[in-house]
Amino acid sequence: MLEMKDIKKVYRTDLVETHALAEFSLRVGSGEFVAIMGPSGSGKTTFLNVAGLLDTFDEGRYWLDGEDVSRLSDDQMSRIRNRKIGFIFQSFNLIPDLDVFDNVDVPLRYRALPAADRRARIEKALELVGLSSRARHLPSQLSGGQQQRVAIARVLAGDPRLILADEPTGNLDSLMTREIMDLLERINEQGTTIVMVTHSPECAARAHRQIHLLDGKVVDLEGRPAPMARPELAPSLG
Amino acid sequence: MLLYNLRIALLSLKRNWILSAVIVGGIALGIAVSTMFATTRHVFARNPIPQKSDVLYYVRLDSWDPQRPYPGDDPSRPPTQITYRDMVEIMKSDIPLRQSAMFRSNLYVFPDPKVGRPQKTMVRLCFADFFPMFDVPFKYGSGWDKKADAGPEPVVVLSAEENDLLFGGTNSVGKTIRMEDRELRVVGVLDVWRPTVRFYDVTANFFQAPEPIFMPFNFLRPMKLRTFGNSDGWGPSPSIPGFEGRLVGESCWIQMWVELPTREKRQAYEDFLAAYVMEQKKAGRFPRPLNNRVTPVMAWMKEQKVVPQEATAMMIVSLLFLAVCALNLMGLLLGKFLARAPEIGVRRALGARRFDIFVQHVVECELVGLMGGVIGMALALGGLVWMNNWMKTVTQRGDVFRMDAPMAALSVALSLIAGLIAGVYPAWRVCRIAPAVHLKVQ
Repeated sequence: MLEMKDIKKVYRTDLVETHALAEFSLRVGSGEFVAIMGPSGSGKTTFLNVAGLLDTFDEGRYWLDGEDVSRLSDDQMSRIRNRKIGFIFQSFNLIPDLDVFDNVDVPLRYRALPAADRRARIEKALELVGLSSRARHLPSQLSGGQQQRVAIARVLAGDPRLILADEPTGNLDSLMTREIMDLLERINEQGTTIVMVTHSPECAARAHRQIHLLDGKVVDLEGRPAPMARPELAPSLG
Repeated sequence: MLLYNLRIALLSLKRNWILSAVIVGGIALGIAVSTMFATTRHVFARNPIPQKSDVLYYVRLDSWDPQRPYPGDDPSRPPTQITYRDMVEIMKSDIPLRQSAMFRSNLYVFPDPKVGRPQKTMVRLCFADFFPMFDVPFKYGSGWDKKADAGPEPVVVLSAEENDLLFGGTNSVGKTIRMEDRELRVVGVLDVWRPTVRFYDVTANFFQAPEPIFMPFNFLRPMKLRTFGNSDGWGPSPSIPGFEGRLVGESCWIQMWVELPTREKRQAYEDFLAAYVMEQKKAGRFPRPLNNRVTPVMAWMKEQKVVPQEATAMMIVSLLFLAVCALNLMGLLLGKFLARAPEIGVRRALGARRFDIFVQHVVECELVGLMGGVIGMALALGGLVWMNNWMKTVTQRGDVFRMDAPMAALSVALSLIAGLIAGVYPAWRVCRIAPAVHLKVQ
C-alpha cells in the first residue's frame, strides 16, 4: 500500500540544516494497521506529511497504492489526497464555522460528486460514528471525543485506501481514547490501511505492527537500524 | 461549487463582521463616488434619441465673415446657426423625409385668472415635422399639420407640465390659451418628455427642460418675435430698419434639423446645400470657402462639448479613488485571509487544489465587492438627489441626474473589478500556503 525507499527530507535555514528523514525506508502492506512511535523530533510528523503528500522530500522514491508519487505536481498530489488518503489529527482540525454535516462534506466537495451521493455518504459516515443526531451541531458544541468522531466520519465519507492518523487520541481522556481506538480497529477490519503516529504504548499495542523512529530513521527497540528500514527485508503484506 | 463558495464567504464575513464592515464600507465609498461621477458624465454623453440618431442631422451653412473666424476653438467651423433668409430657402427642399427650423422665444401667457397670473413662458417655434422627427410623445391630440405651418394657424402644443398648470392635467385639446395678444387653440398635449439634454438645441443652456409650449414657426413675422437664444451676426447694418431688417441680415439665430433616412438622401441634401451656397456666392454672399455641415446628432453634441471636460476629469479622478480604496483594502483582506491559514491547511489536506482555494477567496472578495457595490449605489443615488436639488437652483430642473440601467450595470462591474483588485493578491497568497505548516496549529 505504501512504500518508501531511501527518503531524505532536510529542512534548511540560513544557519542550520535539519535532517528530518534520512535514508528512510518503509513498507506498509494493504490492510495493515501500523503504529509509528518515537520521541519528539524523531521525524514522525515529517513522515506523516510526506506520506500524506502534504510535503515534498529531497531524495528517494515513494509508491502509494502501486503508483509512484515521488514527483507529482501540486494538483496531482491534491487529487491523491482527496481520493486515496484520509487524515485524522490530534487536534481534530474541524472547521469551526461549519456544522458537523458540512465538515464531513468538505473532502467530498472537492470531488465533484452529485449532491445526493454526497448526502448519502455523509449520513452513512455519521451513522457509523454514532453522530447522526448531531449533524447540525457546530464543533464547539461537541466534546473532544465527538469532535474526533466527526473527523473520522470525514475520513469515512471519502472512503480512502489509507488513513494517516497523527496522535488521534492525544487530546482525549482514557474512555474516549478507547472509543476512538475501537472505531479505528473496526475501520481497519473493513480493509482500510491505517498508519497511526502515537506516543501511547496502549494505543500502539492495538496495531498490527509497531515501528520506532529515531533521528529520522526506523530503528529497533535498542535504537539500531531495523530490518524494517530495508524494504527488501520487510514482509510484504500488499 | 459557486454556491458552496458563496456560503463559505458569507460565513467568513459573519465571523469577523467588524472587519468585514470596514472592507465593505471602503468599497461602498469608492463605488458611491465613482458611480456618481460616472453617472454625471453619462447623463451628458448618452444618446438622447438612439432609435433615430443616425438619420437626424443638424444643418449649418458658412455664411460668416471672411475677415475673422467664427468664435470658438476651431476657426474652420461655420456658425452654429443659420440666417432666416437661408432657412427660408433650404426649407423648400423636398429631399429630407422631415425637416424643421426652430428657435425659442419668451412670450407672455395669460392663464385663466383663477389659475394664475400672466407670466413669461419659453416657447419653441418650429415646424410640424418637429414632433414626428424627434419622436415626441403625445398624451392628448397630436402636433399640427403642414397647413397650420403655412397659415400660420393659431395652434399650440403644450407640455404635460404646462397642461397641468393651465388646465389641471385634463385633456385640453380644443381649448384656447392666450399668448401675448392672440388666442391659440391647443391641438396636442405632450406626454412626459424629459430628455436629459435638450439635444435639439444645444446652442445654449442645453440642460434646461424642453419648452412648455410649441407653436408654428411662421408666427415669427406676424407677432414680430425675437429669439431668446444665441444670435451671432456680422456685416453692415441691413438697409431695411427694424424687425424686417433683422430677417434679411447676416444674423445667425435659427437651428435647422433634417431627417435623411439613407446615405443617398444625405448626399443629395449635401449637394443641394452646396448648389444653394454656390448660387448665393454669385449674388455676393457666402464669401468664405464652401463649408456646409450636415452633422449627425451625436457628432453635433460632441462638437458642442455637451460633455463638460470637468465631468470627464471628475469621472477619471473618482475611478482612481475607487482603485485607491481597493488597494488599501488589499492589506485588510490579506490579514483576514492569512488568519485563516489553519483552515486552508485543512482544506488542502482534504484535497482542495490551490485553484480551489484561490477561487474560494476570490468569490469572497467578489461578494464583498458586490455588497459594497449595492451600498455604494444607494449612496450614489442619494448623491444624485443632492446634485439634482443643486441643479434645480441653477436650471429650474431637478431631474437631470438619473441612474439608468447601463450606469447600474457599470456600478456592478466596478464593484466586481474593485473586489478583484482588492482580493486577487491576498487570494493568490493564501492559495500558496503549504498545508503541512498549519495543520499542527489548527
